Amino acid sequence: MTERFEPKVVGFLCNWCSYEGADAAGRAHMPCPSNFTPIRVMCSGRIDPQFVLDAFAEGADGVLLLGCHPGDCHYKDGNHSAMRRNVLLKKVLAQFGIEEERIRLDWVSASEGERYSRIVTEMVEAVRTLGPREGYAAEMSVTEDGVGADETTAAEPSFDESVTHADSEAAKERGESLGAAGTR
Amino acid sequence: MTERTGVFICECGPNIKDAMDVPELVRYASHLPGVVVAMPHSLLCSDDGKGMIERVVREQELTGVVVAACSPKEHEKTFRAVLTDAGVNPFMLQIANIREQCAWVTGDFDEATRKAKRIISAAVERVEHHEPLTATEIDCQADVLVVGAGVAGMSAALTLAQKGRRVFVVEKDSWIGGMTVRYEDVFPGLECATCMLEPMMDELLHHDRIEVLTGSEVVQVLGTRGNYTARVVTRARSVDLDSCIGCGVCVEACPAKQPDPQVAGMGERSAMHVPFAGVLPNVPAIDRDICLRTSGSDCEVCATSCPFGSVVLDQEDTEREFEVGAVVVATGFESFDATVAVQYGLGEVSDVRSAEEFERMLSSNGPTGGKVVLESGEEPDTIALIHCVGSRSAEFNDYCSGVCCSYMLKFAHLIRKQLPDARILDIFADHSLPGTRGEHLLTPLQADERVEFLRMKGPGCVGVEASDGGAEVTYVSAAGTVEKRQCDMVVLAPGMEGPRDAADLAQMLEIAPPNEATGFFESVHSRLAPVSTTSEGVYVAGAARGPCDIEAAVAQGQAAAGKVLSGLVPGERLTLEATVAAIEGERCSSCGMCISVCPFSAIQHDDEAGHSVVEETLCRGCGTCAATCPSGAATARHFNDAQVYAEIRGVLR
Repeated sequence: MTERFEPKVVGFLCNWCSYEGADAAGRAHMPCPSNFTPIRVMCSGRIDPQFVLDAFAEGADGVLLLGCHPGDCHYKDGNHSAMRRNVLLKKVLAQFGIEEERIRLDWVSASEGERYSRIVTEMVEAVRTLGPREGYAAEMSVTEDGVGADETTAAEPSFDESVTHADSEAAKERGESLGAAGTR
Repeated sequence: MTERTGVFICECGPNIKDAMDVPELVRYASHLPGVVVAMPHSLLCSDDGKGMIERVVREQELTGVVVAACSPKEHEKTFRAVLTDAGVNPFMLQIANIREQCAWVTGDFDEATRKAKRIISAAVERVEHHEPLTATEIDCQADVLVVGAGVAGMSAALTLAQKGRRVFVVEKDSWIGGMTVRYEDVFPGLECATCMLEPMMDELLHHDRIEVLTGSEVVQVLGTRGNYTARVVTRARSVDLDSCIGCGVCVEACPAKQPDPQVAGMGERSAMHVPFAGVLPNVPAIDRDICLRTSGSDCEVCATSCPFGSVVLDQEDTEREFEVGAVVVATGFESFDATVAVQYGLGEVSDVRSAEEFERMLSSNGPTGGKVVLESGEEPDTIALIHCVGSRSAEFNDYCSGVCCSYMLKFAHLIRKQLPDARILDIFADHSLPGTRGEHLLTPLQADERVEFLRMKGPGCVGVEASDGGAEVTYVSAAGTVEKRQCDMVVLAPGMEGPRDAADLAQMLEIAPPNEATGFFESVHSRLAPVSTTSEGVYVAGAARGPCDIEAAVAQGQAAAGKVLSGLVPGERLTLEATVAAIEGERCSSCGMCISVCPFSAIQHDDEAGHSVVEETLCRGCGTCAATCPSGAATARHFNDAQVYAEIRGVLR
């Protein structure tokens, strides 16, 4: 008997609709696969594409982005920003060989516990079907440069430094390496 | 690492305890980096649980706290207060939601334990990056500016004044009462509108704490929530509001005449005028467009005729500034201009009237004294009422205004009362008659032999042309056949559109622009915050925010007042959100992307400083700017990059 692949799926949930929807699923005791772990942000508009890249770099097999339904955003249209970014993000991910099915943007309202449970289950099953990410995982990392293919940074993704943007020298470095990446 | 994190794991009675291995979670958490203490409790939200946290935070000198328990929606505030009591900044807390999003959705004990570990690990990683935050407090004004003196604006102003607030009401017209004051009877009960409004208008004009500025417009608003400075220009009325008694001698004496715009082709109006008898304030105003003096004449007939010396011909526009803490926008609606839809013949075919004109014709203080008559002066035999003019159409407005069917049936009742033998053709696509009394308008008419209900295939499937006997209405019936009917009067029901100056006002108030398609102001949330705009401190009520009837406009006016009363308390300082965005000036490249994505217009470019800045009174902390900023200058406090990256790392540990 072969062991079933258990993917690691990370979710970014907006505070007002999707996170509430996830809580609603909990209150109704609707089953959700345990491979899925949610992270709360205030708005789907807060989901920096680098968060998604970072999640993949940290070993996620799939990333689910959930916001308020279009027209219902607590912040008017933050979810529209999420929508626009997602189009580009999918193209960037394709460059890394990350299949389109490994990222999904969808909408869950505060009352849609059942929908939440269904989407999460679908997502985990979709990623399970794709299987583990292979080959490219080691090449990918997110540093403060965004995405780099450099092996040294891949081996040592120095997060504390990278994300606090502590000093202007770091910023300068980042600018340089971004420039270098651009010429590649 | 100097962080000292404490992890408190709640068993929540059996809820968490029976779903996962809590002792194992405690063991696991105690080995996570930065954690100096991890302990379980049977019910952390109990007094005993809260007391335990407070004690341990003090004893262990914790710098960060993770509470693994129910959803942050349940008890984040509770545990933040515990931290405050323990002398630690409340934002040094992170909730690990292991109940709603783990225990209750995971059937397998071991799987639930593994998932809870990931959630706790993420919270521990994250809390290390938390920063103490303090909510800013600002002084504020308790006075309020209300723009528009229709039913919505009047309701807001009176509700506010009843609670002791000083209110400035700015009305563009020279008289108050908005659209409602122009109607004779109103649906659903066909009550007299003036009788209903008069006491309200009287109270507004004579209230100690309300100042009404008629013939005035807001030209500039500076500042933000709690502290606005509004500049208001009042057009010269040329009549002194205090000494004029409204006798009307000047109106009669004025030699400059033009056709009365109330009902096209019916009567005249002079330059010195009141639009109709009974308007308040009962003081005429000069229409400079037609006053002879505008074209160089030295006519002074109005001034010399006035027995009280109240006409002041050299009066100038005045400008005043008001300091207010909140603004209520109640600028009403515009009717769809039916001349744009040429098929209806408005302005081309005689005796085709817009609903607005017909209301004035029905009004006892209108140009016909309330009589329904043709331009020839005769009584009409057959009147066609055409619904959905410009409404529910792909070409014009794609929405239903929700009030037209009711007022059209009201017209049918009022016509019947006046002209017992007239034939009424109700040409409709669907009847939208909501509310408990809506159908009561329809039922009696269905029993009336001289009222015909002619159903169109859809809205707009109808046209009006001049014919020998008056007008010929051609429509496509519900069955798909083309039908023609003769009549001598046509009344059109144009839908409601947003107020014309909405875009300017929105820009001035720094709220989201009105809806592009409809022109109405937009609520920040149409269901849960219907009178709130994207800027706290600016509220919108009545037909300015969407088609509505009088009842809804009044309710919204009162709702807006309620929001102001609860949000701005005299003598109390305003507490702003602590979790707002910030922009680091040195990193900002002035690209302006944050400005373009901010849903609340809370970011502006400070040209002097050379970078964008967040106006904290407007920011709601969504973080879209932080996700958009290409140079890492914009930060969402409490959801900053470091914190989210740490959480990702913790989840995938």
